[in-house]
Amino acid sequence: MTAPAGSLLAAEGLRKAYGPTVALDGAEFSIHPGEVVAVMGPSGSGKSTLLHCLAGIVTPDAGSILYDGRDLATMNDAQRSALRRSEFGFVFQFGQLVPELTCVENVALPLRLNGTSRKRAEQTALDWMRRLEVDDLAKKRPGEVSGGQGQRVAVARALVTSPRVVFADEPTGALDSLNGERVMELLTEAARSASTAVVLVTHEARVAAYSDREIVVRDGKSRDMERVV
Amino acid sequence: MRTARQWARDLAMGVRFAFGGGREGWTRALLTAVGVGLGVALLLLTTAVPNVLSVRDAREQARADHTFSQPPRPKAADTLVVADANTTYGERDVRGRLLEPEGPKAPLPPGVDRFPAAGEMVVSPALKDLLTSSDGTLLRERLPYRIAGTIAEQGLVGSHELAYYAGAKDLAPRIDNSRVARIVAFGEKVPGQTSERMDPVLILLILVVFTVLLMPVAVFIAAAVRFGGERRDRRLAALRLVGSDSRMTRRIAAGEALGGSLLGLVLGTVFFLIGRQAAGSVEVLGTSVFPSYLNPSPALAVLVAVAVPAASVLVTLFALRGVVIEPLGVVRTAKPARRRLWWRLLLPLGGLAMLYPMVGQGRENGDFNQYLVTGGVLLLLVGVTALLPWIVEAVVARLGGGSVAWQLAVRRLQLSSGTAARMVNGIAVAVAGAIALQMLFAGVEGDYTEATGKDLRRAQMQVHLGADGGGSDAGERFRATKGVRTVTQLSMGSLSDRRKNPEQSASITVGDCAALRELATLPSCRDGDVFELTGAEYDDGASALVKPGRTLYLDPSYDEDPGREIPWTVPRRGLREAASVDGLLGFKADGLLLTPGALRKGAGGAVASTAVSAPASALDSSLGSALSSEIYLRLDRSVPDAAEYVRNTAARVDPLADAMTWTSTRESEKFTAIRQGLFVGAACVLALIGASLLVSQLEQLRERRKLLSSLVAFGTRRRTLGLSVLWQTAIPIALGLLLASVVGLTLGSVLLRMSAAKVRVDWPSVLSMTGIGAGVVLTVTLLSLPPLARLMRADGLRTE
Repeated sequence: MTAPAGSLLAAEGLRKAYGPTVALDGAEFSIHPGEVVAVMGPSGSGKSTLLHCLAGIVTPDAGSILYDGRDLATMNDAQRSALRRSEFGFVFQFGQLVPELTCVENVALPLRLNGTSRKRAEQTALDWMRRLEVDDLAKKRPGEVSGGQGQRVAVARALVTSPRVVFADEPTGALDSLNGERVMELLTEAARSASTAVVLVTHEARVAAYSDREIVVRDGKSRDMERVV
Repeated sequence: MRTARQWARDLAMGVRFAFGGGREGWTRALLTAVGVGLGVALLLLTTAVPNVLSVRDAREQARADHTFSQPPRPKAADTLVVADANTTYGERDVRGRLLEPEGPKAPLPPGVDRFPAAGEMVVSPALKDLLTSSDGTLLRERLPYRIAGTIAEQGLVGSHELAYYAGAKDLAPRIDNSRVARIVAFGEKVPGQTSERMDPVLILLILVVFTVLLMPVAVFIAAAVRFGGERRDRRLAALRLVGSDSRMTRRIAAGEALGGSLLGLVLGTVFFLIGRQAAGSVEVLGTSVFPSYLNPSPALAVLVAVAVPAASVLVTLFALRGVVIEPLGVVRTAKPARRRLWWRLLLPLGGLAMLYPMVGQGRENGDFNQYLVTGGVLLLLVGVTALLPWIVEAVVARLGGGSVAWQLAVRRLQLSSGTAARMVNGIAVAVAGAIALQMLFAGVEGDYTEATGKDLRRAQMQVHLGADGGGSDAGERFRATKGVRTVTQLSMGSLSDRRKNPEQSASITVGDCAALRELATLPSCRDGDVFELTGAEYDDGASALVKPGRTLYLDPSYDEDPGREIPWTVPRRGLREAASVDGLLGFKADGLLLTPGALRKGAGGAVASTAVSAPASALDSSLGSALSSEIYLRLDRSVPDAAEYVRNTAARVDPLADAMTWTSTRESEKFTAIRQGLFVGAACVLALIGASLLVSQLEQLRERRKLLSSLVAFGTRRRTLGLSVLWQTAIPIALGLLLASVVGLTLGSVLLRMSAAKVRVDWPSVLSMTGIGAGVVLTVTLLSLPPLARLMRADGLRTE
């Protein structure tokens, strides 16, 4: 496979089935550095599976994925984990913060997993929390903060390693519209300022509106859409 | 009335919730039920123990044949001569009886429908299996009878008991009311016989064993009804949203636990029934039972059926005290109030206060109040479960720093130290109890174990051949037996001043010079010599009795016990003194040592002259029948099964010979039985705790499945998560075992002081008990790693 010129992450002919259910059936994808791409589609269309494949979380049955010229298929589990730790960031629908860690420890966690000292990791984490306007929650545990606040903490955690790609799977799915918009503003602003690409899985048009480009997934197949403003 | 209705309605709703919620709900309910079920099965097993003991006792009593005190009976149509032919095979006892019915109405033993003819035997199913297998080859040689049938269940005390009844001839002349007796019925009660008063320290041991074994089961059941607590709390929040108040919510939660525990009761009964059937096919420490023995006592079974669901409701209500369930699907887990120490300390202190009045009572004055003992031990052990959450909380609050795995574990423990403490409570209680019991056992062991005095360097086996000595060549046959190094044959009897009802008597030991040198330092010796022993521990008055030329009587008669009354004249010359030594018998013998020639010579015309030409070691049948013959054997330890070869020779020499393997110490049977009971119970409890710990661990991991997947998604190493799980278990278990050691040592010391025994810490026991506890946890953690790896798979995010 040849990746589209200048693309950071590209996929071609992706196929993935869970038993008899075909989640992806020849999907394609590409994203450039600093670009925000929304992956849209109805429930069960395969958009989360596409995200998991692109992030190296799930191995596709067929097709190839190139990240920065490297084929994910040739990497073993440890190499893919290392890639996710250092180059990718993640935001999930329910934040998935570790409940027993404080918010600042949650944000610092990816840095600590990369071997950064605790003090430095937490200092960097606090900087990111400040940018996402949640630094006052540093010492609180996830159970003590609201859903919107928790999701902003999760965005800070995704960006703390200055990743080249952030994968956001329905990041506003559990939030009210006001909180959802604030999270999207902060996510895309922070990503763009750091030239971080964002793969944004959503089924909401108003969330997709924050992207530069949209890809629609339906029945496991993807289609690149013209940007609608 | 209205309140009761409200309670019933809320609990019923909770029960419905327990099984609702599709696969997720069922899985949760099933986990709780399996946990509770395991506990219930063990409780039911315990409630069946009294029945097991009474049935075994009744069966043993029903087949009791001779009681050593039955009056002499003439041969009649309803008499049976029965001879004890017990033997040992390897480490297993074989109950054997030779039967000779003397008339058509002779009583049949229980479980036997007809008498085996001479040369035939009926056997227990386990003995039949053994004899037909290659493992039983040596035993087959010893029991050369044709198998003519099997003994039915009512004639046996256990499914694996090795037992046989063999037909025999000419037993009547050997009736001695010891090993051979004439009876008219099996299971005859001895008039005036009362059951022996149980030693108070042994009662104390039994009470503590039961309490210590059942306590972890109760702790475990309490933990099992809280499986899935976190998810349940979230569900309860939704109920708050639709209008249920906080009390209703708690009752609904209690109802959920009730549902799980009710299913647990059903599963427990099923587990018990399966276990009951399986129990018939296993033997533990030489004890086996038939499934039919395992009938729970109805009252106790009802108590279990009521107490377990009630406990599940109470435990849930108690556990939810500190949980604030709010609407909007959020359970605010704001930092809970610190645990208070004072009431937790009250429990063990209360336990000590209950036990204190019994300190110093000992075996002599011990009349331990069983309620105080049980209550005291219970409170001390419950104290472990109350103190542990406080200790875990206090310690983990001070922990910090370290690697990511350590941080994840410590933070998790800080957030929910109660869950962690609950997980190890069962182990901690079991270890505390086990340490205390081991201390008690070790402390009083000396009182129930006595040295046999046998010198195992000189002989390792002894064969009692009874009167007539098994024939003149008995010694030679043992000498020719594989694995036998040396044979010492001694015949024992007594000489008396009168033919009937003597006033004075002295013991005599007859043997060749080599054999006599095992008992005394002989200046010189040849056949025909007689020695009077000096320096014996107990002087039986031989010196007053043995006067040169005096006629004494071998095997005198007593009113109800006719003897052979063989006159024997003390030699006029040549009676020499010999210093008794600590010999084969384990003590310094007294009386006279006679060579066979001296015995024959003294007996003079009383015995046939043919006897004189017999080998030195042998005596003629008349003299031999007045003495009992013992053979002491030194074995070649390099020969496997040497003891079995000896037993086989003994059986060939005389089917009624009693071959014994010597030991240096002998332990009280009841003490041994209690100790074995403890081991069996402890093994069951530890297996249960291990299983429950695993279920609980898996349940916790399952609850965190999505979180684990997301941690892996952003690159967390699996090793980091595995280590964090290990730390999460290791920290509370280390604290739990530390507390268990302190409580165990305290309880052990108190129990030893109650038994008036010297307080001594048995450190190897402490270390081994804590080691076993830690081993169980480590095993559980290792077993939970494969499911953890599965749960960490990134496809756990699929539902995201």
